[in-house]
Amino acid sequence: MHRRSLFRRLFALISGQGLPLWAQSTSFPGKHESTLKELAATVLPESLGRAVTDAEALRFVRWVEEYRAGAEMQTGYGFTRVRYKAASPAARYLEQLDELAAGALAQPGMAARRQKIGQAFQAANIRDLPAVPDGVNIAADLMTFYFQSPPANDLAYSAAIGKDTCRTLRNAGSVPAPLKKETSGAALR
Amino acid sequence: MPRFDSDVCIVGGGISAVFMAQKLSELKPNLSITIVEAGKRLFDAENRMSYRRRSLLYGENAWPGDFIEDQGGEGIVSRTMAVGGSAMHWQGHANRFSEEDLRLHSLYGLATDWPLEWAELEKYCCEAERRIGVSGAPSPHPEDQRSEPYPMPPMPLTYNLAEIKAWAERAGIPFTGCPQAKNTTAYDGRPECQRCNTCMICPTGARYSPDYTYKKLLANKRIVLHDRTLVRRLIPHDRNKTIVAATGSNAERPGEPVEYRARWFVVTSGYAWSPHLLLNSRSSRFPNGLANSSGLVGRYMTGHYFITAQMEVNKKLYPGMNEPYPLISREYFRCAPDKPFVRHDIQIFESTTGRRPRLKSETGEFLFGDDLLSDWRSRTTHGVARVRMYYDSHPSRESSLTLDPANGNHLGDPMPRIVHRMDEAAEARDAATQAHIRAIYQRMAKANGTKILSVSKSDYQDHPSGGCRMGNDPSQSVCDSYGRTHDHENLFVVGAPTLPTGGCTNATITFVGLTLRSSEHIAQNL
Repeated sequence: MHRRSLFRRLFALISGQGLPLWAQSTSFPGKHESTLKELAATVLPESLGRAVTDAEALRFVRWVEEYRAGAEMQTGYGFTRVRYKAASPAARYLEQLDELAAGALAQPGMAARRQKIGQAFQAANIRDLPAVPDGVNIAADLMTFYFQSPPANDLAYSAAIGKDTCRTLRNAGSVPAPLKKETSGAALR
Repeated sequence: MPRFDSDVCIVGGGISAVFMAQKLSELKPNLSITIVEAGKRLFDAENRMSYRRRSLLYGENAWPGDFIEDQGGEGIVSRTMAVGGSAMHWQGHANRFSEEDLRLHSLYGLATDWPLEWAELEKYCCEAERRIGVSGAPSPHPEDQRSEPYPMPPMPLTYNLAEIKAWAERAGIPFTGCPQAKNTTAYDGRPECQRCNTCMICPTGARYSPDYTYKKLLANKRIVLHDRTLVRRLIPHDRNKTIVAATGSNAERPGEPVEYRARWFVVTSGYAWSPHLLLNSRSSRFPNGLANSSGLVGRYMTGHYFITAQMEVNKKLYPGMNEPYPLISREYFRCAPDKPFVRHDIQIFESTTGRRPRLKSETGEFLFGDDLLSDWRSRTTHGVARVRMYYDSHPSRESSLTLDPANGNHLGDPMPRIVHRMDEAAEARDAATQAHIRAIYQRMAKANGTKILSVSKSDYQDHPSGGCRMGNDPSQSVCDSYGRTHDHENLFVVGAPTLPTGGCTNATITFVGLTLRSSEHIAQNL
């Protein structure tokens, strides 16, 4: 076994990454499903409606469940170094949901809740949304999960672009159709 | 030691290897051909939709296992080590070089001429396009005349690209869709493109990758493929200069060397690992490595720098329609011999720069929910184009790949270290080239009354090649125009490493064209 592979596997075992997926994340969101849905309703567009933000929260649960610690990461062009996904963020998320339930989400009113979450971002030096959730902060990751998605892209452009979905070449030259209520791109998710 | 015998042993299993083998097996059906590749075969096309999904959602490697952990290097060295090589995950841009690339010295007094004529290479580029399956539109420049039409009609311009084309052409520069190794009709058993927007991993097979050809060759028993087998050294004959064997190690049995015996050896290991193998094959008889009497193995490493601008387009665009598909202009592929030399392509992609969701407003406040969405929407009324120009960056002799004793793999072999250096003339004109390119950005912006949002120059050379350059003079080159090394009559190096200069646009069609020409030559001489 290569030395770096050995170290990687040892690290995975020590950090819990080597555990089977069910052992890593079946407890997520545990008792905090309602907290997670409250969080989604707080940080995602309120115009989506509660049913949609609840559904996004549950999609995010699936994302956490399917997270694979130790998976090879995408790398930049011309780089030979291999990087691996960190340990499952599930445990950290649960701690943060505990804090959110008692703190930001216990505040009366949306503005106060968001102010508290913003303070947490500030404290964690979170400045922007990463391309994919990075496991640092559950609120930022939930926002990334939604706002970087094809349906959110459609919503922002008010058009059925269907980014990252497989489409025909026909009609490529036409302006994307105005957005219907049910956005495209769901297949990816 | 396990020993495998064949007529031709191909070392390295990328795109050049597969077309070398395919054509050889057509021209000489009874030939025994063994391809030896260090990486593994990634033939599970049925899983690519799943890999793609995980890449998008988690940032995972879309090509799991396409590397050997400690087989890396310093400088621009692709991590990919798998059957099919880097062309497994290329974007499929299939534009060509031009006559000027082959006649830089005779036309402009720069760098060196290639030891073959464009008219001849052009025929093999057509063959490469047929075998790969390229869709494209004819260039508006008569100098880009083709001897055959593209195999498939061009990829239709998306609404975004059509708008960007109109915007760009207001500066008086003509653009077409960039030729693509993507099917616009069903072709060679693969389907039409579905604009999945992730050409780096094509889930449908519409974008060519070499695994499709490998699978056909294997199914028809035209080749033997040994993957996960790293060839570490080529072994010369005791007395003469022929190569008698390639030796290496299989990943499953690292302690047990394997040997490949053949009449002909063809190194198709790309720009990094081909010179690396020749240098690593050093011995007391060949202390500087094989094929290296000129001292030029690992020299004249080439490629090209590029400058990228993000430019505002005064039209509403809809990012995500087909982001990997660019426009291209070949307006500056040639310049008058009596004018200062400047040579580059122009590629334009739809862009999301400044048009992505963001967490903070202009005033630094955190944004949530509908406020974030409103902020995002407010920035979508005008589009952005990414305008990139690759420019001629001719290499100096000191542009090198060397063996790095401080960086070894688990077998103890030193890994490559690549340092790109331009020659004196290229260095001397670099500021003027950059000024010329920036003036084009300004011209495009002025013609449209739009802003240049940013301009940046690359700090590395893209589309790398070279390291075993071809030429007629054995003291100035490693191999002839067919890739036959000057020092070893039965040893060829083909594809990317043989390029004397790296051109100013994507190079895969040129690599494959050269390989097909070499294949024909080898078949004729067997």
